[in-house]
Amino acid sequence: MRHILHTTVCMLTLALLLTGCAPQPMTPQRLAYGLTLAPSGIDPHINASSELGIPLTSVYDTLVYQDPASGKFVPGLAQSWKISDDGKTYTFVLRHDVKFHDGTPFNAAAVKVNLDRIADPATQSQKAVFLLGPFDRAQVADEFTVVIHLKQPFAPLLDGLSQVYLGIASPAALTQWGKDYQLHQVGTGPFTFKEYVPKDHLTLVRNPDYKWGPSIWENRGPAYLDEITFRFYEDPATRALALESGQAQVMGEVPPQDVDRLTGSGKFTLVAVPIPGQPLQMFLNTQRAPTDDLRVRQALIYATDRAAIVKAIFREKSPVAFGPLTAVTVGYDLSVKSLYPFNPDKARQLLDEAGWRAGPDGIRQKDGKRLQLDGVLMGFGFVPETAQLVQAQWAAVGVDWKTQTVPYGTLLKAGSEGSVNVIPFFDSGSDPDILRKFFKSDAAFNYAKVSEPAIDAALDRAVTQTNPTDRAPLYADVQQRVMAQALIVPIRDYVNLNVASKSVTGLHYDARGWFPQLSSIKLQTSNIKWPV
Amino acid sequence: MRFLVRRLAAIVLVLWAAATLAFFAAHLLPGDPATQMLARAGASSQAIAERRAQIGWDRPLLEQYARFVWNLAHFDLGESWIVGRPVTRMLAEAAPPTLELALAAMLVATLVGVGLGTLAAYFRGTWLDALGMTVALLGISTPVAWSGLLALMVFSVALGWLPATGSDGVLYLILPATVLGLTSAGAIARLTRAGLLEVLTEPYITLARSKGLPGWLVLTRHVWPVALPPVLAVMALQFGFLLGGAAVTEAVFARQGLGRLAVEAVLSQDLPVVQGIVLLSAVVYSLVNLSADALHWLLDPRVRE
Repeated sequence: MRHILHTTVCMLTLALLLTGCAPQPMTPQRLAYGLTLAPSGIDPHINASSELGIPLTSVYDTLVYQDPASGKFVPGLAQSWKISDDGKTYTFVLRHDVKFHDGTPFNAAAVKVNLDRIADPATQSQKAVFLLGPFDRAQVADEFTVVIHLKQPFAPLLDGLSQVYLGIASPAALTQWGKDYQLHQVGTGPFTFKEYVPKDHLTLVRNPDYKWGPSIWENRGPAYLDEITFRFYEDPATRALALESGQAQVMGEVPPQDVDRLTGSGKFTLVAVPIPGQPLQMFLNTQRAPTDDLRVRQALIYATDRAAIVKAIFREKSPVAFGPLTAVTVGYDLSVKSLYPFNPDKARQLLDEAGWRAGPDGIRQKDGKRLQLDGVLMGFGFVPETAQLVQAQWAAVGVDWKTQTVPYGTLLKAGSEGSVNVIPFFDSGSDPDILRKFFKSDAAFNYAKVSEPAIDAALDRAVTQTNPTDRAPLYADVQQRVMAQALIVPIRDYVNLNVASKSVTGLHYDARGWFPQLSSIKLQTSNIKWPV
Repeated sequence: MRFLVRRLAAIVLVLWAAATLAFFAAHLLPGDPATQMLARAGASSQAIAERRAQIGWDRPLLEQYARFVWNLAHFDLGESWIVGRPVTRMLAEAAPPTLELALAAMLVATLVGVGLGTLAAYFRGTWLDALGMTVALLGISTPVAWSGLLALMVFSVALGWLPATGSDGVLYLILPATVLGLTSAGAIARLTRAGLLEVLTEPYITLARSKGLPGWLVLTRHVWPVALPPVLAVMALQFGFLLGGAAVTEAVFARQGLGRLAVEAVLSQDLPVVQGIVLLSAVVYSLVNLSADALHWLLDPRVRE
């Protein structure tokens, strides 16, 4: 009996030792990433949403990349490029060693197929075609040289070519799948597109052959992770819950009020990314009384306590805005920072000068008319909450602002018709040319109804200057004019609040601020709860 | 048979009415889809006008309507303006998860509703009755957006019993179906209670009891078969509410489905998709009502006479 026991103990010990020495099987590294909106369509050549770029920026490569630190463009699929003196011809020399995920070789003909597809009206592109600007045609010069001809010079072209919307797709896959291509996308990037179930999930798997990442990436070779699944959390309130229940390890656009609770638990880190483009700003209609008076508009800016708004609503997670561009945008003019400090007395004085005197109900009056403004609000992006605070701040200097929250389509209509005094709005974009959409006299979003030849001329000239140092002073001039005319009340710079589990490292975002560089992400496998 | 033909003809009429309403409602919304689609990308007004022409939005309203009805008669729902894929294919992908959710919620609503209603009727006037009806009222008046979050916090985050979000199997269905089903259980419970109270006072029930039948047999043989068929019609109506309520539930629980597709299509004025969803919902709703009526007819001899 004792003998048997002895043998058993020995064998057990041996067994334990053996298993201990055996090589550990590699567990696949899988990440669950939470997106905020389920995009309607996710073909980057056709659709326009930012969400599609979060996964797809790692499925496609672009001809060039933009360094988020310096704003400079660096080689991508194109190893070098030349811009003609008239700014109308761009010649790209392509890499020779790139293959699409389906084995199709990458070359100049593939680039041409992509650009032709985007420019074809039948594609009904909602964004990519506009990034190409006055595109004329693409020409294959030799197997690895492609030439883009423009009808006019267009400075933001490289910015467009560095975005996923102009990512290069496999010509073979485009032909094979036709209308259903968006469910079977094939690029050259560090991740391949495995599966997309609309509104449910999207799965990417590692591309083991990847070795042509741009110099600005921490990891230029194959990704560290094996698989990433993206899910869509449209209800902001469920985003923190998904993190806490372990169903997602990274989540974009977490509401500011949830951020401190999550990071305070010690289990999560905040990755806050300032977004280039326009801040949350309130357009003041210069063609509609009483905001047609410069003094009234200036008074409104002085009366707005932006620091209080940033504190109460954005929990100091985003900076106060001072002008029509956010501080991280190329071409941001620092001089706007000193303009219009919060000064309600100055606001009262300006309104007095404009003839608006204190009325019986606390609201100012002129010729028996109350100082009343109207406005329409979109229902998202913390706009209604912000408007509520602004209303109280303006009421304190005797201005009555009446607002109405409306569907997006209604807001666009009110804006283009100029039927209200104030419209809060925001937009992102990495090129300062974004100003042209909002402040040129014939612009689609000219909600301030401004018509100033000097602004028009500066914007038109700047878009044709391919040299950044020639563009900068023109955009500085526009920003100063916008503020001198008090066309907007800037509120806060947009900051994308991403929260990640502590086990996630290497989470970086690109120059757009929205798109993570997925191939650099690493995952510590301990205490990961993977949904079954 | 004549009854069936008449009902089917009525369904076609309902479908036409629903499609027409959807068409004109979409055109009543301010703004136009081309602007919504392209303005933010920096498109010129000329590019926007071209896109408007491409989708036919610039044609006279009646001409657009005629073309719409013509295509509908040929079962051609067209392609989404935003996604660029055929609407029928998008519906085929989105419908099953929503039907699954609505059916599971219906099951919850029926079990809870009939259960609570029966309990309340049997213990009429006691604290059980009051409790049951309070629970029913809570169910009716609690919005899914709130109860869903609460359920997530308790059962997924705090207790960790059930997955929070997604749609990968039966486990994922439990929370959303329960939360959604409870909103309809209240109405069913109240109706069940009323129906039962009426039947319970009938002399034949007293007779059944006095001849010594056990209580559960009285309930299943003599009470439910008489009291429940009228509840069927209400359940069919409730199914419509559940289909509608699926939109919010799907958003809270990050599930795919028709509801989210519908919300997004309406917001972006993606007319072909909106119309497809309205038509599909009308078809499902009509069929459910028809089968509820047929079931009522089968179960209740009084209706047949």
